[in-house]
Amino acid sequence: MGEVIVITSGKGGVGKTTTTANVGAGLSKLGKKVVIIDTDLGLRNLDVVMGMENLVVYNLVDVVTGGCRLKQALIRDSRYENLYLLPSAQTKDKSAVSPEQMKKLTSELKEEFDYILLDCPAGIEQGFQNAIAGADRALVVTTPEVSSIRDADRIIGLLEQNQIRKIDLIINRIRMDMVKRGDMMSVDDVTEILSVPLIGILPDDEQVVIGTNQGEPVIGLDSTAGKGYLNICKRILGLEVPYINLDTGKGFFSRISHAFKKN
Amino acid sequence: MLKSSSVSIAKNRLRALVVSDRVQCTPSVYDHICRDLYQTLSKYVELTEDDFQVEINRSQIVIRIAGEET
Repeated sequence: MGEVIVITSGKGGVGKTTTTANVGAGLSKLGKKVVIIDTDLGLRNLDVVMGMENLVVYNLVDVVTGGCRLKQALIRDSRYENLYLLPSAQTKDKSAVSPEQMKKLTSELKEEFDYILLDCPAGIEQGFQNAIAGADRALVVTTPEVSSIRDADRIIGLLEQNQIRKIDLIINRIRMDMVKRGDMMSVDDVTEILSVPLIGILPDDEQVVIGTNQGEPVIGLDSTAGKGYLNICKRILGLEVPYINLDTGKGFFSRISHAFKKN
Repeated sequence: MLKSSSVSIAKNRLRALVVSDRVQCTPSVYDHICRDLYQTLSKYVELTEDDFQVEINRSQIVIRIAGEET
């Protein structure tokens, strides 16, 4: 029986889609059978980040409305074993899918997959309700900024109201140089305000931009973000992994000095 | 660690925002809640304003009075 994980944030542009892509690829690298689902109706993006936009034939709306069989809409990723993508639709009608339909879909997928990852749209409207409907647990992505942390707090409150018991926090785009100067909130500052368990910290890594340009997850690459994502995947599997030291996140020297530090 | 610059401003703004989001009102209403709770409780419990503290979390409102903390 698989586990359904929703990746959400409230605020847009903090890294939900990138996280979904990389955690999906990472879990499949660790030997799990994974499907990643784009639930952002009207603004399809996960296929683009994955570099699979040319393979899209059917989508989420086709599946839930019976326009095609579930198996027809799942796109297999040729780079990763056991990784599948269910793309979203580019239709404008956001009410094309209901929370009940999402519940039915995820429970069906649970039979066959170890992990079902749902890339949630920004906001707290219907798209959000759809994405969390069938979720067993949530990964909340935030950046160390006031607006993004504020939205994360609201999202966590809504997840708790919707009986999602397991909620973990990912802090994305940390810049250690700014944290040191006192111009960016640290991991401790953020967790103190949000008071949910931390599952990952990610640096502001230009490899992520390069990866997105190319349609390639950074998970396998020798980058700080790639390692950070792989650690998140291991923690999802229940392994204890020390946090990477983001302080060494620059240049060649950092790559040879794997200074791990419990944060 | 140095925290003299913009982080302390960010944290203070964020704390106020998060509390007002949680009770769905402006920060001044938070002060009203505190005052009302204090007045109500002080009818039954011996309190001083210095000992009285209200903390609003996502799922609970915690009232602390001196001597009650473990």
